[in-house]
Amino acid sequence: MTPALAFDLLLIAALLWSAARALTIADVFHAVVLFIVFGLLMALAWARLGAPDIALAEAAIGAGLTGALLLDAVGHLRARQREPEQ
Amino acid sequence: MTMTEIASFILLLTGAVFFFAGTVGLLRFPDVYTRLHALAKADNLGLGFIVLGLLLQTSSPATALKLILIWLLALAASATVGFLIARRARQNGIVPWQSGDRP
Amino acid sequence: MSNLTLILSVFLLANLLVALLRVARGPTPADRLLAALLFGTTGVAILLLLAFATASAALLDAALVFALLAAISGAAFAQRAWREEQAEAMHDDD
Repeated sequence: MTPALAFDLLLIAALLWSAARALTIADVFHAVVLFIVFGLLMALAWARLGAPDIALAEAAIGAGLTGALLLDAVGHLRARQREPEQ
Repeated sequence: MTMTEIASFILLLTGAVFFFAGTVGLLRFPDVYTRLHALAKADNLGLGFIVLGLLLQTSSPATALKLILIWLLALAASATVGFLIARRARQNGIVPWQSGDRP
Repeated sequence: MSNLTLILSVFLLANLLVALLRVARGPTPADRLLAALLFGTTGVAILLLLAFATASAALLDAALVFALLAAISGAAFAQRAWREEQAEAMHDDD
């Protein structure tokens, strides 16, 4: 097995696992972290496919900005869940 | 293999060892603060040694400058994030792990 | 030589697969996010090694963006997402 093939197979396994977990997990925060991880792995996949510019966009938009926005949204959701009870 | 190639390979290998140590630490350490410590080793030393090893392989100054810039950026980022997360963990009432506690 | 850098990048990717375990195990939100931050830095290292293995300088820019944005999601997590009940009862001392 060549190193390049091993790299691709590991990347595919990690991508599929994080994508499946992100979709099926019940805890919202856990899903957001898995989404960030998926974005970073996807950027690696684009780099491997010979598309560095798409890798750049995926890292910036997919993992970075969307990740930060989703984390912020989780914070708002939790704050709202605590408020109505008082 | 020339001398520079061997030196570069040894530096790259050292970097990979630090990344491995960081990953093992993240899995084995008992609480948030100790895991932050393991992460910082991978960030600073692991990436640092990899950048040093790659610096020996490049001849263009632009690439070398970019590599150093990436490392400096990662240093600043890991220091900032480590501080922010540790402070928030303390505010959230997480007590640091003591050697007698169960992990 | 390029084969050696490729083998090292495979090793780092295997490390990432192991770090996925920490995302799954938790137990606090910070532990999951720390694994995501490790993904960021190790991703930078893998991209750098790939850039030299395949001699494509454009991957260095992608690595630069990786390094920048790991910090943003970490800061967003600490400042916005991770506030627990005890935190509001306790005295804020920063």
